Amino acid sequence: MSEEVRAPLAGNIWEVTVAVGDKVEEDDELVIIEALKMENPVYAPCGGVVKEIKVKKGDQVQEDAILMILE
Amino acid sequence: MHPYFSKMDNFGKELKQNRKDRAAESNAQLRAVETVIEQQKQAVLNAGFSTAEINKRGSLTITQRLEYLVDPGTWQPLHSLYNPLDNEEGTTNVVDGLGKIGGKWAVIIGFDNKVMAGAWLPGQSENILRVTDLAMRLNIPLVWLVNCSGAKLPDQEKFYANRRGAGTPFYRHAELEQAGIPILAGIYGTNPAGGGYQGISPTILIAHKDANIAVGGVGIVSGMAPRGGFNVELLEELIDKTREFRAAPPGRVETHFGKTGFFSRVYEEETGVLDGIKEYMQNMPAYGPMVFQVAEPAEPAFPADDLYSLLPFNQKEVYSFDELLARVVDGSEQMEFRPGYGPEVYTGLCKIDGMLIGCIGNRQGFLGKGYPEYADYPGMGGKLYRQGLIKMNEFVTHCGRDRIPVIWFQDTSGIDVGDLAEEAELLGLGQSLIYSISQTDVPMLLVVLRKGSAAAHYVMGGPTANRHNAFTLGTAATEIAVMHGETAAVATYARRAMKEKDAGRPLDDVIEKMNQLAQKYRDTSQPDYCARYGFVDEVVKLTELRGYLKAFAGAAYQNPRSICPRHQMILPRIIKG
Repeated sequence: MSEEVRAPLAGNIWEVTVAVGDKVEEDDELVIIEALKMENPVYAPCGGVVKEIKVKKGDQVQEDAILMILE
Repeated sequence: MHPYFSKMDNFGKELKQNRKDRAAESNAQLRAVETVIEQQKQAVLNAGFSTAEINKRGSLTITQRLEYLVDPGTWQPLHSLYNPLDNEEGTTNVVDGLGKIGGKWAVIIGFDNKVMAGAWLPGQSENILRVTDLAMRLNIPLVWLVNCSGAKLPDQEKFYANRRGAGTPFYRHAELEQAGIPILAGIYGTNPAGGGYQGISPTILIAHKDANIAVGGVGIVSGMAPRGGFNVELLEELIDKTREFRAAPPGRVETHFGKTGFFSRVYEEETGVLDGIKEYMQNMPAYGPMVFQVAEPAEPAFPADDLYSLLPFNQKEVYSFDELLARVVDGSEQMEFRPGYGPEVYTGLCKIDGMLIGCIGNRQGFLGKGYPEYADYPGMGGKLYRQGLIKMNEFVTHCGRDRIPVIWFQDTSGIDVGDLAEEAELLGLGQSLIYSISQTDVPMLLVVLRKGSAAAHYVMGGPTANRHNAFTLGTAATEIAVMHGETAAVATYARRAMKEKDAGRPLDDVIEKMNQLAQKYRDTSQPDYCARYGFVDEVVKLTELRGYLKAFAGAAYQNPRSICPRHQMILPRIIKG
């Protein structure tokens, strides 16, 4: 079963802290979005393996944009 | 009321290793700053003559006196780096803090007899006034270790006169006594003039056999009659008089114990004086902790060392305030007030050493869609919005009503700005919070975890709440300034840059000035600067934080001026619903 990880707010991708194939646990940090002068971490909503990453450092993302897919 | 307090809601989660790994660099940065601060504190403590030299003269140093006097493990130093007028000695020449003597909390202060025999130095009276304010706020005894040679005469213009000059503490002593707060003084050495009033103004005077206190000492008596200048003949005369007075300085024990009776007791040994203070402390007004403890004291469920992985050194990195709070309060338990309202602020009841404390702190990070409700832009923790301000107003008011001391944790960039924020009444709500704080009469402690900025630094229990803020602590990540330095540079130079550009002139000069201003902000907002100039009363290691919170809670509940029976408190009922 796949789980989409979406951007909670619009901003710039400051850092992607995982790679495809990484095993993650719930609440692990996946991506950091820079917005409103702050670095906002996006955490894993559940445990799983990183199947696909749709953003890279420096990308601009809108609210609700899909950042990665966990499986 | 034990169902409310003996077991409150657990909060916090065990810190995962990958989180610790990711925070390793920040952890190291925090510890590096703490190491520098510690070195600076040691340098101040080592100012003046060496301990060996003072001991050779038959005296103990202030540090040795404190070690003998204060219950082991209870000393919480304050103002270690305070030196607001940049004295070359590196100190205001008093050492102070909170500590227990014979199991009772006291505010304790003493002159550093290694430096100019404990002279008055610039900035010292401000330091003393912070200490007398602390005793007044906490309503606990003030203990003085007097050993003061009087004014450093070449610098007298910096501290002798003025509204908050070197004489002001004597009025504060009177005010403390009139408020029912006793001042115990152990008196050592020669204390002429200002030193004499340092000796006479406390409530109980306990002297060492070689101590003296006097209106004037050798220097003043010898040079009493100015003759328009100095020459060899006059100097020879002064030398003879000085020899005469050195043999027998005025205000000795034979006078002030034997004749005036100012001294309550006199001891042969230096430690005897301290034993005398301990004995008097046994007779000071104090409730036992059990009177106000609502539960058995308990350590937090998670290690304090986690704090180094939870509080990012990088000011832009967000974190969980709740996780941090769970590392400093009893059992990592809490009762949160209005959890679904004003998400940028935590408000709740916690326990410190089994005593009830109201905790308020800035939450960090994105606040979720639709908040703030009055704006079309997203809200970010660290800023204050309408709901958070209203919630803090309510919480503080209830804490005041229930006589619950408050600990504030600041990491704030300010109150939201703009037309929508004005329409949402944020200016009025900020001032309302000041009004609400002023309406209470409970002691408050502030911890500036990272940023203390803009008016939010004032309204969230900042040191500007003179009557309420007992003291303020900083950390290795503390940064206090009206705004970020680069924001200030933009505010100051943006129009000038535009004019230069329009005039066809190069922008290099403006850029240099903007960078200089931003750098100045960085330099003057760092932890050591904040401590030196009194923005905070002490910068502490993260693992030392809980010790200070315990001292605050214990002192605040030791002899409160006003009490609310726990079964008549309303705040726990409001939280429970």
